[in-house]
Amino acid sequence: MTITSSNPPLKPVSVFSPIRFDFWTVMTLLVVTVLVVLLILPIASVFLVSFIDEDTGAFTLANYVEVFTRNYYVKGLRNTLTVGLLGTLGACLIGVPLAFFTARFRIRGKALISTLAILVLVAPPFIGAYAWIMMLGANGFVTNFFKGLGINLPTIYGAHGIILVFTLKFFPFVFLMTKTALGSVNKSFEDAAENLGCNALQRFFYVTLPLVFPAVSTGAIICFVLSIADFGTPAILGRGFRTLSTIAYSAYTSELGGKPTMAVTVSLVMMAISILALFVQRRFLAKRRYASALTNRPVIHQLSGLRNLGAHTFCYAVVIIAMLPTFVVIYTSFLETNGPVFTGEYGLSSYRRVLLDAPEAIYNSFRFSLTAVAVIAIFSGLISYLIVRRENAVSGAIDVLMMVPYLVPGVVMAIGFVTTFRSGWYDLTGTGLIIVMILFIRRLPYGVRSTTTNLRQIKPSLEEAAINLGASPLRAFVSVTVPLILPGLIVGSLMSFITAINELSSTLILYNSKTVTMPVKIYISVLDGEFGLAAALSTILLVCSGLCVYAVFLLADDRESSFV
Amino acid sequence: MASVDIVNIRKSYGPVLALSDIDIQIESGAFFTLLGPSGCGKTTLLRTIAGFHFQDSGTILINGREIQNMPAHKRGVGMVFQDYAVFPHLSVSDNVAFGLKRKKFPSSQIKPKVAEALRIVQLEEFAHRMPHELSGGQQQRVGLARAIAVDPTVLLMDEPLSNLDAKLRVDLRGELRRIQKDMGMTTIYVTHDQEEALAMSDVVCVMFGGIIQQAASPFEIYRNPANRFVANFVGANNFLAGSIDPAGDAILTTSGLKVRSIADSASDTDIAVSVRPEAVNVSLNGNTAGEDMLTFDGNIRQISFIGRELEVHGKTELGDDVRAILRPTSELLGLAEGDPVTFAFSRDQAILFENGETGRRLS
Repeated sequence: MTITSSNPPLKPVSVFSPIRFDFWTVMTLLVVTVLVVLLILPIASVFLVSFIDEDTGAFTLANYVEVFTRNYYVKGLRNTLTVGLLGTLGACLIGVPLAFFTARFRIRGKALISTLAILVLVAPPFIGAYAWIMMLGANGFVTNFFKGLGINLPTIYGAHGIILVFTLKFFPFVFLMTKTALGSVNKSFEDAAENLGCNALQRFFYVTLPLVFPAVSTGAIICFVLSIADFGTPAILGRGFRTLSTIAYSAYTSELGGKPTMAVTVSLVMMAISILALFVQRRFLAKRRYASALTNRPVIHQLSGLRNLGAHTFCYAVVIIAMLPTFVVIYTSFLETNGPVFTGEYGLSSYRRVLLDAPEAIYNSFRFSLTAVAVIAIFSGLISYLIVRRENAVSGAIDVLMMVPYLVPGVVMAIGFVTTFRSGWYDLTGTGLIIVMILFIRRLPYGVRSTTTNLRQIKPSLEEAAINLGASPLRAFVSVTVPLILPGLIVGSLMSFITAINELSSTLILYNSKTVTMPVKIYISVLDGEFGLAAALSTILLVCSGLCVYAVFLLADDRESSFV
Repeated sequence: MASVDIVNIRKSYGPVLALSDIDIQIESGAFFTLLGPSGCGKTTLLRTIAGFHFQDSGTILINGREIQNMPAHKRGVGMVFQDYAVFPHLSVSDNVAFGLKRKKFPSSQIKPKVAEALRIVQLEEFAHRMPHELSGGQQQRVGLARAIAVDPTVLLMDEPLSNLDAKLRVDLRGELRRIQKDMGMTTIYVTHDQEEALAMSDVVCVMFGGIIQQAASPFEIYRNPANRFVANFVGANNFLAGSIDPAGDAILTTSGLKVRSIADSASDTDIAVSVRPEAVNVSLNGNTAGEDMLTFDGNIRQISFIGRELEVHGKTELGDDVRAILRPTSELLGLAEGDPVTFAFSRDQAILFENGETGRRLS
């Protein structure tokens, strides 16, 4: 053998291997601390409150018994499920065909349709509700137009109005997810179905739809979770039709000062429904993956005659109707008002009123959102690195925790923040800080998800090479990893920003006169009937969101899936 | 230049023992290759030396200095990666300068060192290109230049050629070996390609199941495999069923022919008799049998002409499969499937192993 021994060991082998305490250990601790304080503690405190008797302070299940027995709550529960399920169903009924038409047929202006769908997605959540009131409300211009013709339209208020708004507001989730999936179904499956004797319709229902069903169900579950947690729409359109989120909010405002026991209990029931729905979907559907080598790309057909006309009409009708509220809002923002009444002339008085009455709302919205997003960007980088590169129990737990903010309704999170961050010796309520904190934790997952997707595409050997060449772990992260995940980081930050600046449900509970934000101001204006002011503020919000969407389009590889 | 001593390294992933008491001494300036199938532990060992993960126990010494508990970025060992790992956001020269900057070289020295490294790998004119403008082979040269620029004590290479096409792989391996020899750099090379291992190395270390099966010169490994695994993994081999009779003679099971006597071996055990295909002779008239030759009549199953040599697949009348590699003579080229032939090999060429995947060598 040619092996020769060289110098013998100079030191004996150390018995105690040193604890390896590197940069990422410290970062793991930092991230865990932040998540415990901003996520686990508030939710745990809400949880605790729901099991405590308001008067005696003893452990009790009575609060839950009350929710599930008292008519007021049971009705709210039933209403929530009704609008949630029917809204989701509606979203699927228009989202799936829209995806199929745009993915498989030659539709003119496809990019425009996708862009409009995305704009629907990023528009402030409650714009739809009050814009529909302006069109179809008791004094809406469409209602009045038909009244003039002697036709009395049914009122927009109540369950059907909420379902309509949910359908038109959330269908883009189903549409975008299904469209992506349809684009990656191997055409051989469909060819095989045809070869085995399926006609076009059978092929769609027996082969194509089952193949993309996991994606459809993922889109549907997002619709359902958001519908259930939605506060603005039922608050504006409900008129006595109460859902759990409006019940929780009014319970909270009426219990002010005391313990928000019932608000919390109702909120947790709401959250349980979301979690249960997500669990069922994950358990039965999301695991079914039909990924295959895309050797045979789907073909895009040119329809002819009436079919072509029908497909185009459907696609454009859907996105234009869904965009109607936005158009109405922008249009009315340029109408002159006299108090709450539109005079019918054009002008900029609504914008003047924004500058006079609500400059602090604009300032606050940007200040809070930008601060939160700056911190989100930093944490997204760190957390995605931990999740992707450090596969251990702690990073696994962080990964799971990143799902939580999606599922916790804003009302729950906000009440948790109030109970956690208001104690005898410190009180953060009413500060800008608490709003930044809640925006941070609620929108962090958007940044993390986008950055994680980006990081997974980067070979770990790049960081290893940097370390091998003498860079410390921190140095390797900053000089190699960060430049490479920058696109994901920026897209994630933009998504966080869009959702942060449109946040209403949590800020509505946490704001005071000094920390009012644009969405809160819009909500208050709508309740006061100040549609002009609301429209001007909404237009400003829309423009911000639209600019961010444009930036995402410029930066993201896969533009459309960045939004779902 | 440095010697490397690996003492009793052990590493497990849960219940799976990835490295089992690895002991290796590597001479300064040697080209040492870890060869084995995927999952054998060769990459785990390399990455343990680099510090990308840590051993459960054991010691790694470079020039007598313990490094096994040092963080990876302080070990000063160079590494070339299977997927190149050339930083896509940096130019070729910035990639090569990366390690020099981390090692705080003054900028006046960085430039000449980068130029020198690029000259060695023959990429001078590509200094300002971005990695995506380079081919795979060029990217791997950048990977090599980057690793050698910092003057590492030891160069680690993790299947550096496996992502390249066959022709380039052969060219680049000659060049790698030349650079390594010129610089006299101790190199630990991981590969699953036995031809590559034999062609490049001073020492080939065959691993399987986290255990070193044999470490020796390429010639030793090929000619004197230490166990059945090495005999099977390195080069092609025929394995014929055999057994040891009560007299202590190793015989072939089907024919009853005696191979040789084995002193003090358990009788009545089944064994494997191996013979390299190039040691098997094929003839048409059966007159090749010498005194020490074992002969078998049989038929040709498949015959393939692969240029330099002729590969014959046959079956003896007793049912053994035999493979032979021969010089293509005009007589042999006239053979066709089904033709009767005589296979023969010398008793001396046979190596006996215990049965089982890593069966011990008997004689």
